[in-house]
Amino acid sequence: MRRTRGFSRKKFLKLGGAGLAGATLLGVAGCGGGEGGSGQVTYWSDLEGSGPQDYFKQHIEKPFEKANQGTDLKVTFQPPTEMDRLVRTALQGGEGPDIVMTPGPAYAQEYIDANLFAELDEYAGQYGWDNKMLGWALDLGRYENSLYAIPYQLQTMLLYYNVSLFEEMDMEPPTSRDELEGMAEELMGQNIVPFAAGIGDDPAAIEWFPTVFWNHYSGPDALYQALTGETTFSDPIFVEAIELFNTYVQNGWFGGSREQFFSNSFAALHADLGDGKASMNVEGSWFLATIGEYFGQAANNDNDWEWAPLPPLRDGIPPELYELGIGSTLSVNRRAQNADGAAAFIDYLVAGKERVAEWMAAVPSAFNAPLPFEEGDFPSSMDDRVERQLVSLSQATGQGNFGYTAWTFWPSKSDVYIQEEMQKVLTGDITAAEFCSGLDEVFTQDRKEGAVPKIIEPGSA
Amino acid sequence: MLAWVFMLPLVVVNLLVILGPSVATIYYSFTEWSGIGPAEFVGLQNYRDILADGDFYVAMWHNVLWTIIFLTVPISMGLFGAFLLSQITRFQMFFRVAYFIPYVVASVVNAALWQNILDPDRGIGSAMAAVGIPFLDGVSFFGSERLALPSVAFVNNWAWWGFVVLLFLTALQSVDAQLYEAAKIDGAGRWQQFLNVTLPGIRPTLVFVVLLTIINSLLVFDYVYIITRGGPAGASEVVGTLMYKEAFERFEAGYAAAMGLGLSFVSGLIVLVFIFLRRRGWEV
Repeated sequence: MRRTRGFSRKKFLKLGGAGLAGATLLGVAGCGGGEGGSGQVTYWSDLEGSGPQDYFKQHIEKPFEKANQGTDLKVTFQPPTEMDRLVRTALQGGEGPDIVMTPGPAYAQEYIDANLFAELDEYAGQYGWDNKMLGWALDLGRYENSLYAIPYQLQTMLLYYNVSLFEEMDMEPPTSRDELEGMAEELMGQNIVPFAAGIGDDPAAIEWFPTVFWNHYSGPDALYQALTGETTFSDPIFVEAIELFNTYVQNGWFGGSREQFFSNSFAALHADLGDGKASMNVEGSWFLATIGEYFGQAANNDNDWEWAPLPPLRDGIPPELYELGIGSTLSVNRRAQNADGAAAFIDYLVAGKERVAEWMAAVPSAFNAPLPFEEGDFPSSMDDRVERQLVSLSQATGQGNFGYTAWTFWPSKSDVYIQEEMQKVLTGDITAAEFCSGLDEVFTQDRKEGAVPKIIEPGSA
Repeated sequence: MLAWVFMLPLVVVNLLVILGPSVATIYYSFTEWSGIGPAEFVGLQNYRDILADGDFYVAMWHNVLWTIIFLTVPISMGLFGAFLLSQITRFQMFFRVAYFIPYVVASVVNAALWQNILDPDRGIGSAMAAVGIPFLDGVSFFGSERLALPSVAFVNNWAWWGFVVLLFLTALQSVDAQLYEAAKIDGAGRWQQFLNVTLPGIRPTLVFVVLLTIINSLLVFDYVYIITRGGPAGASEVVGTLMYKEAFERFEAGYAAAMGLGLSFVSGLIVLVFIFLRRRGWEV
């Protein structure tokens, strides 16, 4: 949930304004069923910023209500970083919204184990979700062959860069470890931070980096084996990846120094990227929503941005590999007064390709639904860089070139272990080997308790 | 009878919002519970786990350090500030208000303010470096394992000490001026007047501030959570933030409840010492 950022109204209007008209037309057309039960449906959304929230109300809530006469959708916007705590407290108290958002499949599983979510198989059949959504994504929401959660907000990790700075320094995005390290040394020599990075606002964001280094150094095959219990996280291939990340941080390549990596805020590191004090940034596709705020007229600079796939850090790793991430899941509260209406809204929010494409164009990354998008599916108002990212992700995953994000495929306790103990590697309190060995212990326990979500085999998406 | 009628609503509210959750916390401290679903009774296991938890000891040690900082720095500053204020009549109200303002500003606002001021790239360090004073340039106050805890304590102290000034000032103003005159006649200097007249005169307030400081230091949470969340790598972790993480990040609500009760036990012990001293005739 922490993997979304704020979005000012002004920037939102600039970025997505062109998409609004089309979205309005589509929204009013309201191709969303009308099969839901009548009555009130409550939904807690993690959208931040008045722009996206207004957009939601105007272009999603109202058209849905119009298409589903008698259904009153009550939306409450909750801070993304607090959402899980609020949901947990509410559900435990026998309350909570009808549509429950969790931070990912592993987190949803806890609620399912506690019998708090309703089965969705009947609705899946009624709305034809198996035919509309990506099979691998839908499988992530199945537990013991029953569907309980709909994966939402598809994400991946990307390499963002200041294209103006790159042109000035005659650089291209790195395509190998040698290139990356050569560039980093050259940039440090010029007093430019190679990678804008920091976890000051959200220490849990450190998990982005083990995710990237394990995928692009250890590789998705090794990860698949570890996640399915065929091998362990103590294997040297995982230890080496952590050591490599640690070396880069100690070199000052991430954030400028280890101390700054710990304290840099997102606003500061993003501003550094836009101003050219830093040249690159490793972050999730959610950053596409706000990156425009840090470049060009909006940020009083003449710079522009671009993204590229993260490079392989070892021979044998695919050159274009995208970690699959699920930012959230949607489920129906078992105590929902209007379960039919809740399911109808989930269908409306997730399963209408044309409608969702309009929303994705207007508010990048906030409404990324697990749908089989192709080139030409998106409206012309969509930023071509955003469209390219969505199509590239779809194509690469279609070819099996995908990896695993910690917040989607690791059980929640293992994920929390990564978030907390990784910092100790950087401070030298523990070694990379001790970190991986500790993860192995927690993960083994998680596996015993059946907390590991379904792991998709590389090449099978 | 009328007094009881007036007090009853408050008692009912307290029973609802304090006693109820307290009893629930005691119960959950003997269970393994993730915060959702049924809780499994595990007896004293959570308490045994706490005794073997290295993170808990580190966090507790940080609380002790925090207590030492707050028993010395703000109390010394508060006494000195109150003494200075007691010496002036013009603009006294202005200074009282100025000292007090940070105390009433929300901790989130104070924290954000100091995060900007102490930012290694855009804060006071780089501004001073620009005018030829470079010793703070690039210092990452909240990102350094060595500096994180004292830096957060500094920010919290900034908000807290003005309140202490006002408490001491009120106490100082109640000390009989004739006592100072008598001390002067006996040949006492400023320092001796402070030791023999001022300190005994404000002793109840001083003990109250010490008690408040110790309890607040054990329960500290907001500034640490907002600024560093206990990081980097636990360098500024206190029991309050550790407890929160156990409950809402590691989903060990039963364990967090036991930790909370342990902390309450220590706070209760301190209050008991205070009550014991009063009964022994200490003017506190």
